[in-house]
Amino acid sequence: MFSIEIFTKSGFKDSRGGHVLADIVSLGFNCINKVGYCNLYLIDGKLLLNEAKLIASCLLSDKITESYNIAKCDGKDSNCSFNNNVVASKTMIEVLYKKGVTDTVSSSVIKAVKDLGINKDIKVKTGHRYYLSGKFSKTVLDNIACKLLANTLIQEYKIKSVK
Amino acid sequence: MKFVTNCNIVEILNLSDKQLLDLSKRKVLSLSLTEMKTVQEYFKKLKRNPTDVEMETIAQTWSEHCKHKTLTGIIEYIQIKNGKKTKKTYNNLLKETIFKATVELNKKWCLSVFKDNAGIIDFDLKNGVAFKVETHNHPSALEPYGGSATGIGGVVRDILGVGLGAKPLANTDVFCFGDPTTKPSKVPKGVHHPKRIIKGVVSGVRDYGNRMGIPTVNGSVYFDHDYMANPLVFCGTMGVIPKNKIEKKVSPGDLILVVGGRTGRDGIHGATFSSVQLDQSSDVSAVQIGNPIVEKKVLDAMLSARDLNLYRAVTDCGAGGLSSAIGELGEKIGAVVCLDKVPLKYDGLYPWEIWISEAQERMVFAVEPKNKKKIIEIFKKENVEAVFIGQFTKDKKLVLKYDKNTVANIDMPFLHDGIPKPTRKAECKIKEEKLQKTVKLTSSELLMVLKKSLADLNVCSKEWIIRQYDHEVLGQTIIKPLQGNNIEISGPGDGAVIFPYAVIKGTKKGIVLSNGLNPSYGKINTYKMAASAIEEALRNAVCVGGNIEKLAILDNFCWGNPNKPEILGSLVCSANACYEMSKAFSVPFISGKDSLHNEYSIGDKKFSISPVLLISAVGVIEDVANTITMPFKNSGNKVYILGVTRNELGGSVISKIKNIKDAIVPNVYPKESVPIMKGIYKAIGKGLIESCHDASEGGLAVAVSEMSFSSGYGVNINIDHIKTADTMSAAEILFSESNGRFIVEVEPKNESRFKEIFKGLSVSEVGCVSDNKFVIFESQKEKVKFKEKLINLLNAWKHTINW
Repeated sequence: MFSIEIFTKSGFKDSRGGHVLADIVSLGFNCINKVGYCNLYLIDGKLLLNEAKLIASCLLSDKITESYNIAKCDGKDSNCSFNNNVVASKTMIEVLYKKGVTDTVSSSVIKAVKDLGINKDIKVKTGHRYYLSGKFSKTVLDNIACKLLANTLIQEYKIKSVK
Repeated sequence: MKFVTNCNIVEILNLSDKQLLDLSKRKVLSLSLTEMKTVQEYFKKLKRNPTDVEMETIAQTWSEHCKHKTLTGIIEYIQIKNGKKTKKTYNNLLKETIFKATVELNKKWCLSVFKDNAGIIDFDLKNGVAFKVETHNHPSALEPYGGSATGIGGVVRDILGVGLGAKPLANTDVFCFGDPTTKPSKVPKGVHHPKRIIKGVVSGVRDYGNRMGIPTVNGSVYFDHDYMANPLVFCGTMGVIPKNKIEKKVSPGDLILVVGGRTGRDGIHGATFSSVQLDQSSDVSAVQIGNPIVEKKVLDAMLSARDLNLYRAVTDCGAGGLSSAIGELGEKIGAVVCLDKVPLKYDGLYPWEIWISEAQERMVFAVEPKNKKKIIEIFKKENVEAVFIGQFTKDKKLVLKYDKNTVANIDMPFLHDGIPKPTRKAECKIKEEKLQKTVKLTSSELLMVLKKSLADLNVCSKEWIIRQYDHEVLGQTIIKPLQGNNIEISGPGDGAVIFPYAVIKGTKKGIVLSNGLNPSYGKINTYKMAASAIEEALRNAVCVGGNIEKLAILDNFCWGNPNKPEILGSLVCSANACYEMSKAFSVPFISGKDSLHNEYSIGDKKFSISPVLLISAVGVIEDVANTITMPFKNSGNKVYILGVTRNELGGSVISKIKNIKDAIVPNVYPKESVPIMKGIYKAIGKGLIESCHDASEGGLAVAVSEMSFSSGYGVNINIDHIKTADTMSAAEILFSESNGRFIVEVEPKNESRFKEIFKGLSVSEVGCVSDNKFVIFESQKEKVKFKEKLINLLNAWKHTINW
């Protein structure tokens, strides 16, 4: 399984990250000083690395303003190690849909991958990653995740350390 | 009947009353004891127990959402006014108030009212305009993004499912939210912070509307603590439909075609869930996720199939899913459906889940067998899944099959007409309203109130929301939501006008959309709230060039728990206002919707929302060239006020700012307003009015300031010249929210012709548009004068919601 992160290139404004930071501050947490945002796609199937790169560059990212990271995962967990060029951070909150919740972006990706000429059966899960820098406790992170980043009715979140 | 393993028999024949109620609650059927006993009696006659599919079908068909059983049930109403009691029994509140007004008005240009998925009025010789507004409150409270997106998706499908399908041209959205400045620690457990709900809801509407390629052109937002746990989300869609496509006809033998999205476990019990109060343990499966791309493909494909006459009826799968859609289409004849043929997102669904799932983006068609191949080809071309799942019959039975076994067999007449009419008690005490102590303010206090009013959440600029929406796509929006000199300087438009030239070639006509909403009045008097909402919607339409003689309105009631007599009583009171105002303004209702049970419990505490009646107006304008916007147009022009200002500060913005208790809520005087509204239409048509804006929240001071700062022109207003019904102080004149008032700008050369039109009506010249960049209000009588730079007023208005 490949995990693909799409992030804003340096020199361009990461507006989603900026908005999340503003929301965190308005929640009353002043301990975070930067938030970097990535779209996350977990693609399961017999893809080759080149094919995953093609998908990331031609389908999932905007070539001018965005770039991508690709990592191979074991399938159980999407905890992949990236050369973290999103934001200098040691902590990341990952948000994914719970099982059974309709993921419409995923079905569009599956169709678009076929349109790209990659005729393989794949499964796709979409999600979000928020890289946080600052000084904070796990309770604060749980609070931010529950009150802002994930609706725990339909999404689940994991707090991860960035290697 | 033979049964398969994944269809269960529900034992009800031998259950006691208590056991019946337990069963209703355990299975989330939301059926009352009388209803459960009616079901029990029916199956006793059949000498068998029902299957789970049958129980779920009955529960869905009889749900509040689908049958509106409160408003169509028996209501024993008592009204108490000045200690005097009057009693009245309604056998069907909707038929005896709102619908009655439409029947009595009998407008020939109303083409389809209260019978289809949307109301339709006449546009031109060949086309009609369809309009529908829906609510999606409970789903939006749980999952703001998904809830509001599926709200807009659902109402777009209502427009696709009216007649043989209308083409959607514009969306509207109206919200009621909690106060976004609430401290996070004050938000109850299990409830999202209002700001999170607002951001989610706005992005949901934005993404769905923008991706469907339909502009969102008109709306309103109201903030109050009452809506923190139970936000209200109203979504509307307007479309055009050829007149020869308005009638549906389903005949026995027609095939049932399901088109669009696949069926999953999404939104199971959505219909019955809307009859249940929200609590912290609300079910995950009640959440629906929308997919606008699929709906857009369905839209394109079905309209080409419609124009080739390939189907005879269509309806959307909304609340209650296939059960509701097929049940409605086959109500008078009967239907057989093979549930195993329905395309699924994943395996493992029980037959009853397939039948009542509220998975999105699905439409159901009745297709003549001869068109079977052709219609499938059309959907295939657009990459839309379309599968035949059954056939309409003539035996008046609903038969559901799964793997060739019958899993349900119910008589259609029992299913649709067997529901016992509930009887509810309603009581409305009309509060006596007293005039407040005279509000006298100094010049600087008046300016402070003006600035605070402009910055008030319910008055301030909603640009942050509006600019996220595409209100330009399709290129037909000629009167837009924000109006002014440039993108940085703008004011709030009253209504929107769509010029459908790309769909109806060669037309000059336009379609006006507007809305009226005054929940703050409803806290004191729901009759006046309803009457004011109707007038506000009409005023807004008239301001941009709408013709009151060609306007129709839609109602959306959002109320608390109707089992409480005082809550139902306040609803009856406002329904009466709807009847009386509809008649007095001669403006018919063409469609509507109610969402009751807007009550939320946290622990032992119950929060009930303040009642809300949203009135949405739609009308046809003969010539789109005769439309105007609200900013002032030129210095030297005269400013007139049409209508009378009364001492009505009840529920007003100033009453909140200055903490004024005991004030009178604005009343409606149709006999004064109608001639003024007709006059404005005439004057705009003759080019005699340069700009027009109505006075609503914040009163005249706010309305005049908005016209001024959005144009860049200053204005001098003489408060003493404003016509009042009573003796009033400057503060009361400037901030009273009396209905029926318009501020208009007239060029000096047109003054005499303008005055001629309004002869005998309440019209007063109050000031002049100027070149200087100041708004000036002055009263020599009271010796007050205040002056403020336009930019400061604009900034006060602009920066409250700027996330």
